[in-house]
Amino acid sequence: MPPEQQLGLDDAQLVARSLKQDHEAFGQLIDRHASVIVNLAYRMVGNHAEAEDLAQEAFLTAFKALSTFRADSKFSTWLYRIAANKCKDWLRAKRPGQGPYDVDADETLDSHVAELRTPECLLSQQQVAHELEQAIHRLPPLYREAFVLKHIEGMSYEEMEQILSVNGDTLKMRVYKGRLQLSRELASLNPSH
Amino acid sequence: MNEHELSIQRFLDHDLSPEERVAFLHAVDANPTLRRQWLNLEMVIAEAAQLPRITPSARFFTELKAKVAPPALSWWERMYAAVTTPRTLEWNLAGVAAAACVAIVSMTGVLTLMPERVVEVPVAIVPAQTIAVGTTQQPTVFVRLVLLQPVAQSVSVAGDFNGWDPTQTKLERSDGGVWTATIPLKPGRYQYMFVIDGKQWIADPLAAEETTDGFGAQNAVLDVAI
Repeated sequence: MPPEQQLGLDDAQLVARSLKQDHEAFGQLIDRHASVIVNLAYRMVGNHAEAEDLAQEAFLTAFKALSTFRADSKFSTWLYRIAANKCKDWLRAKRPGQGPYDVDADETLDSHVAELRTPECLLSQQQVAHELEQAIHRLPPLYREAFVLKHIEGMSYEEMEQILSVNGDTLKMRVYKGRLQLSRELASLNPSH
Repeated sequence: MNEHELSIQRFLDHDLSPEERVAFLHAVDANPTLRRQWLNLEMVIAEAAQLPRITPSARFFTELKAKVAPPALSWWERMYAAVTTPRTLEWNLAGVAAAACVAIVSMTGVLTLMPERVVEVPVAIVPAQTIAVGTTQQPTVFVRLVLLQPVAQSVSVAGDFNGWDPTQTKLERSDGGVWTATIPLKPGRYQYMFVIDGKQWIADPLAAEETTDGFGAQNAVLDVAI
């Protein structure tokens, strides 16, 4: 089937075609999900090149394991789970120059940041975005992962439960703590308030 | 997490009932500290949603798609796959009818255009050729007689082997005026002559040997041996 005709197919149909050695179909799945996967990896590891490498690994892992994919779940959910795990594996083992990282530790928040500051008062929009990027990258990985999926990728807690295999209450708590730490970090940038 | 923080979290996650939302907004209105906390968190969420997204590079797509593409096959592997891959012929009545029409037309064309017999090219004309066929009793040798007579209407051969009867063994004409006949003979020595148009007797001009017939003419001599 020509690629233009595959544009109208849903993920499940493209997966079925990929399993029949239609590599154009998997190419369509790559086109469809690359942006989310690369951005998720970028938010997790903070480096564009590393993010693309991790995203490639995620897609290749999915491609090789496609025959094990169960059609009772969404392909995107399965793919995002693979990507999230790749990112955590990278953080555990490959953080350049910083040694292994306890990704699974539920780290306590930085209690030294001010709480009641207005983050945006003295910062331009561009500065706020830059500082927020940096602050997100300083979040503990589990909070970062939950915050990124919720507030940058715009997923629901139900989707996040399936992707991360973590119950909704735990995810809400991680998102909340992530939000709180980011709020405090941005507020600390404006000591006059 | 204190009560205020819990209220803010539930508000941000849209977990409050309509009544609870109203109560929360009243509390925010009355409590500047709570309002500040809430606005700071709302600001984080709003800013996060606006963070610039990175675009995967062209290299990313090129490399990745190359990695999931099937490996290039050698010409031999492609040939093998072409002849061994199982195929399913999909058909319907219209297709079968069309195929039958094509087959009938093709066969008619072949039968129409096909020559009535195979043309022998008179390139190397040699004297009588022999092919021996072994049997358990006495072997038979097939002898091919050839005569070039472009203007003749008929040619036959008469000799020892057919009682000198010119009507028994006729030669067939091929393109170019070459006349041929293949006759089975036992090993031995035979004399013969060609008879052109039923009246003109001539010896085989290509015979390896001739002998007199006792009436002033020459007979061709054919030695048939295994």
